[in-house]
Amino acid sequence: MNIENTQSQMRKGILEFCILSIIRRGESYPSDIVEEMKGANLNIFEGTLYPLLTRLKNADMLTYRWVESNSGPPRKYFSLTEKGQTFYNELEATWKELANAVNALAKKTESMPDTTNQNPSF
Amino acid sequence: MKKIININFQGRVIPIEESAYDTLKQYVDSLRRYFANEEGRDEIINDIESRIAELFSERLKRGSACITDDDINAVISSMGRPQDFEEQVGATSEPSNAYQGSNQQTQTPPPNYSSASVGRGRLYRNADDKIIGGVCSGLANYLGIDPVILRVIFVILFGALFWVYILLWIIVPSQSLQTNITKRLYRNADDRVIAGVCGGLSSYFNIDSWIPRLVFALPLIIGLVSGTMNAIWWNWDFGFAPRVITGSLGSTLFITYIILWIAVPFASTASEKLEMRGEKVDLNSIRDTVKEDLENFKTKTERWGQEVKQTAQEFGHTAGTHARQFASEAAPLARRAGSGIGHVIGLLFKVFFMFIAGIIAIALLGVLIALLFGGMAAFPLKNFILEGPGQNLLAWATLILFLGVPLVGLITWLVRRIMGVRSKNHYLGYTFGGLWVVGIFCFVFLIGSFARNFKVRMPSEDKIAVSTPANGKLYVDVTRANLEYYHDGDWFGFRFNDEMPVYGANMDTLMLNTVRIKLAKSKDSSYHVTRVRLSQGNTREIAITSAQKIHFNIEQQDSVLYLPEGFPVSSADKFRGQQVLIIVEVPIGKRIQMSDALNRYSWFTINVNNRRGWNINFDDYSDESYGWDANTEYIMTPEGNKRVSDLDPVELKNGRFKIIIDQDGEKTHIEGDFENKGDKNHYRYKQLEDSIKEKAKDKLREELRVQDSIKREKKLKEIIKTSTTGNQENEEDETTSSSSSAGHIISPMMMLSGIIN
Repeated sequence: MNIENTQSQMRKGILEFCILSIIRRGESYPSDIVEEMKGANLNIFEGTLYPLLTRLKNADMLTYRWVESNSGPPRKYFSLTEKGQTFYNELEATWKELANAVNALAKKTESMPDTTNQNPSF
Repeated sequence: MKKIININFQGRVIPIEESAYDTLKQYVDSLRRYFANEEGRDEIINDIESRIAELFSERLKRGSACITDDDINAVISSMGRPQDFEEQVGATSEPSNAYQGSNQQTQTPPPNYSSASVGRGRLYRNADDKIIGGVCSGLANYLGIDPVILRVIFVILFGALFWVYILLWIIVPSQSLQTNITKRLYRNADDRVIAGVCGGLSSYFNIDSWIPRLVFALPLIIGLVSGTMNAIWWNWDFGFAPRVITGSLGSTLFITYIILWIAVPFASTASEKLEMRGEKVDLNSIRDTVKEDLENFKTKTERWGQEVKQTAQEFGHTAGTHARQFASEAAPLARRAGSGIGHVIGLLFKVFFMFIAGIIAIALLGVLIALLFGGMAAFPLKNFILEGPGQNLLAWATLILFLGVPLVGLITWLVRRIMGVRSKNHYLGYTFGGLWVVGIFCFVFLIGSFARNFKVRMPSEDKIAVSTPANGKLYVDVTRANLEYYHDGDWFGFRFNDEMPVYGANMDTLMLNTVRIKLAKSKDSSYHVTRVRLSQGNTREIAITSAQKIHFNIEQQDSVLYLPEGFPVSSADKFRGQQVLIIVEVPIGKRIQMSDALNRYSWFTINVNNRRGWNINFDDYSDESYGWDANTEYIMTPEGNKRVSDLDPVELKNGRFKIIIDQDGEKTHIEGDFENKGDKNHYRYKQLEDSIKEKAKDKLREELRVQDSIKREKKLKEIIKTSTTGNQENEEDETTSSSSSAGHIISPMMMLSGIIN
């Protein structure tokens, strides 16, 4: 069992949610998103981000506009659509449920009740 | 010092180092491949490139003159490499579906060549990858192996599996199957001895590369070795391994090798090479493989560059400078992965030299093998040719050192190459070389000694008593030998035919049939048969002794003269070119006929030297003898041997002969009586005749001298007497007596001179 694999799987599950939560706060530029994720101790590669954003955009969760910049090529600024907002709300609910369940399981210190010798005859 | 190029990146002109550009290009290409099946791929790539361009601008703004390798590496590490990207969705499924409530997200990495999780439930024929009917391909897909293997199996066991194939073709439905193969069988170009077949096999089965090589080569080598052993000691049977391994398995494997060579392609592209090794083919591994290849390429071209340098120095200084320039340019050229002139020249030189070397090597090998087989072929005759311990020793030494050593050396080299053993010391090579040179000397000495055995040819002449047959016709025929000698036709697989002068051999006796019959005219009225036995040897005495050892007994029964089929030569007596010459003299008016069994005799002469020695050449005497055809009746006439069928039968009865010869359209009429005119023109062994003549002449001269001196004495006495006594009567008496005595002397002189003339 590769622990990195499992860890990676865990991350993959919540990545979208995190990104959407960043964009929800306001119009964001991919580079900024990466910065924010880094600040929250969730490092992500730009190469992972771009395809994700594109997919979300293709699914009409996001929209963007071009902003010219004098230091380089024009940039895309992403923002949530309505559909995206609904999507985000659902994800948030799911996340809350999941977080509670996992935390509850992980925090338990007592062992499970012993049920092995209750029914001797099968 | 690096080269800077300008690129148009996202609408901007960016100065960038050449090597950095290569890296960038590779990166972008890898991204392109990674997102190959992604919807919106172009957009993603574009976004990423924009970001990169932005990063470039920042750097340039900060004061850099150009983008360097370090910049590129930093950019790539910040953007991330494709294998680091965390994928959310399987690429073939529609991304929109994935976002609409489906929580089932199969998180498989990009497919194409990944390990099999495609449903293997049903066997289908593969509609995409089919040569004939896609049977092998489908079956291989089902089993998860490379279809090439199945194809090879089907071809080899063609007879048995043919119907199986047809059956499958009919029954199994065809479908377009996604490839299910992780590991394909390729030929390995990097690990090749002959054609990389074994290298590819070893990669596919994950075994060491010498194992398949040994499996292929061993039966073949064993077969060869045991075959040669069988040839040398031909009455023993060497079974190093059962015939099924050396014979049929060896040749099957050989054919399999050839089939694989033809059918299986080289793994040339990086992805194919990865497939061959069974490694996951994704961008990272592809990049690694490509990098490996480039490095190999670079070292190879550097080596080529060096080789070119060396060879050019041998050819001349100007050529050397050019080559040096090319060689130094070849390395960066190689890095550009383009084809440079430098390594083309290197390639040309290499090909040329290898071609010449290959031809010379093949020619030498051919000569060696021919000599070896020749030596082995003559082996059974060894006892008859070689005499004495010295020659035997030389012969063995020649065989082992001159012929055997190169063979052993070759086998060793072959085995070494198969095992991949590289030995540092060349002692083995030098030892073999030295032994071989000694072998050459032995060979030369052997030839010399051998030739001496045949230096002199001497005859031994006998007369055979022959009585005149009653009907006036002698028939010459051949008896079957009393003893059966080995007339084994199977001598190294060559069948005996009548052309071989040797018609039978066993371990201690050789049967020769070098016999020739010559026909001549008899000097008197009876038949004469002379038997001349000839042999060669070191000296005249040895030759004569050897000739006298020939057993060739001629018998006459009534009107038939029986000659033996051949004569034996024992291994104690040695083969020394023994021959038997029979001279049959036929009197005039008598007939003779030769049986066609006489045609089975053969004739050959070994002439070692033509100038020195007492060399007798019997072929010079054909003008005194007559040719003959078998089974034809001849009659001897004063003009020579004539066919009875040509003669007029009527005249024949009358004791005369008449013949009309048709020569070039002219009819010549010859008539005559069958009378022996005392023809002095008889066939005689010329040398003897010469010597007899010589002797007679000597004797005559001697006598003449004696007579002369006696005469002179007498005359002197006469003169003295007459001068002193003046007695005429005495003188007359004396002269008469002297003349009469002289007359006595003269008449025998006249006879002798008559004989001489």
